[in-house]
Amino acid sequence: MNLARTARLIAAKDLRVELRSRVVVNQVLPFAALVMVLFAFALDSESALKRTAPGLIWLGTIFSLLIVVQRSFAIETADGALDALRVAGVNPAGIFVGKSLALALQLLVLELLLVVLSVILYATTLDPAGAVLLVTTLVPATLGLAFVGTLYGGLAAGAKGRETLLPLLLFPVVAPVLIGATRATEAAFGVSGAATGEGWPWVGLLVIFATLFGVGGTLAFGPLIEE
Amino acid sequence: MATTHLQTDGTAPAAVPARSGTGTPATRWLGIATFALFALLLLLGLVTTPADVVQGESVRILYVHVGTVWVAYLAFIVTAISSAAYLSKRTRSLTWDRIAGASAEIGVLYMGVTLLTGSLWGRLSWGTFWVWDARVTTTAFMFITYIGYLAVRGLGGSHDQRARRSAVVALLAVVEIPLVHFSVKMWRSVHQDASVAGRTSDVTLDGQMLFALLVGTVAFTVMYVWYVLHRQRVLAMEDAIDDRGLDRALLERRNEAL
Amino acid sequence: MKDLGFILLSYVSALGSTAALAWWVLRRGRTLARQVPDEDKSWT
Repeated sequence: MNLARTARLIAAKDLRVELRSRVVVNQVLPFAALVMVLFAFALDSESALKRTAPGLIWLGTIFSLLIVVQRSFAIETADGALDALRVAGVNPAGIFVGKSLALALQLLVLELLLVVLSVILYATTLDPAGAVLLVTTLVPATLGLAFVGTLYGGLAAGAKGRETLLPLLLFPVVAPVLIGATRATEAAFGVSGAATGEGWPWVGLLVIFATLFGVGGTLAFGPLIEE
Repeated sequence: MATTHLQTDGTAPAAVPARSGTGTPATRWLGIATFALFALLLLLGLVTTPADVVQGESVRILYVHVGTVWVAYLAFIVTAISSAAYLSKRTRSLTWDRIAGASAEIGVLYMGVTLLTGSLWGRLSWGTFWVWDARVTTTAFMFITYIGYLAVRGLGGSHDQRARRSAVVALLAVVEIPLVHFSVKMWRSVHQDASVAGRTSDVTLDGQMLFALLVGTVAFTVMYVWYVLHRQRVLAMEDAIDDRGLDRALLERRNEAL
Repeated sequence: MKDLGFILLSYVSALGSTAALAWWVLRRGRTLARQVPDEDKSWT
């Protein structure tokens, strides 16, 4: 079975599991919303919130990423499903791409929620040009996060003592996404006088990141989950 | 791997090992050289070299700081190369895995020392413990990344699992670190902080001071080689003990079944 | 003066940690060497 077909089947499976269990919708989205509220308590200044809103959106995304990744692999290790897939000879690269795509879709929903909350809670504004930039930013940023999340999630999945490793491994790696996505979002929202045009180089950085880890992950996932 | 020397009743051979440690003539010479070089460094760094015209006494910190940062980066390059060597089917051998691990251990230690000494030097030279530029920030990230690498090595499982997992993590780090450096550079360039740029420009030294710097760099490098040799032998013994324990357990299980 | 304190701290941390690391690896080497027969020591 080729990579694309495997990926599609795995992605569909993951999304179907989420549709039936609604764990992300019922637990992670509220968590992310709560984080946005807590930021307001911590920063205690409407001007500071509006200025830092882009950063808060992506921080909220990254904190939620941890949970969504752990969930993505919890459904595998619960019944040894990942091992079963591997033993059955399913292409690990296909598993990687499939799980990444499912993860990316869920992250996208989460990010859109956070953007909406930012407009509501932090009074950020978005003009048409900014919206185009924002949407273009979301794609490579989300893919990048999904790729590294799936990659390190696969490593840290399951066995005792491994779950606490995930944040330590993941957070240094997502730093470029945090930097790039935040700067691009700042340009999109026009925060601190940033012009929309300034955001595009950052989108370029995000595309490079997503490409490198998409390819790297496809190659590395097999050896990583081999037992 | 080691052949099993257990007798059929599962007891260990009676002979007591003659070799009492991990030393060999080569490492003894390296050890002596390391010691001598560090002694020389202390003399040069703290006593005989003059204070800098611009920086004053704080330049003395550089004689250790440059040595540790150089070795830390060298260590991580070696870890990456050893990891690749392990993963390649042609050169697969757990020795590469052990070298990668040993190298990363001393790399993490010296990276930490680098951050500390760099911070102290910065405080004396520019008045701040930290500066948000690409070089310093990336160094901090490398430190954390390799702590994660060592944590992955401690996950347990078979030697091959450990080797494979950590090798992948090390090679991913080779991708990740330049990305972090580049993004931070892009980020800080937006802020156009002229004073920051001035701070991180390289300091020029000459004469005795350059010599002290060189001695420091060589001293830490020789120490690095000495440590990796010893440590990978220790790791080989730890793996051997693991294997013998496994052999013994298997033998006991087999005997139970009889 | 602050300078001397920081300078000494730098040297103590760099050389002290080096010495500690060296002492630790040699000691661990000796402890394990007693448990491992010579055949498993490839450097002998």
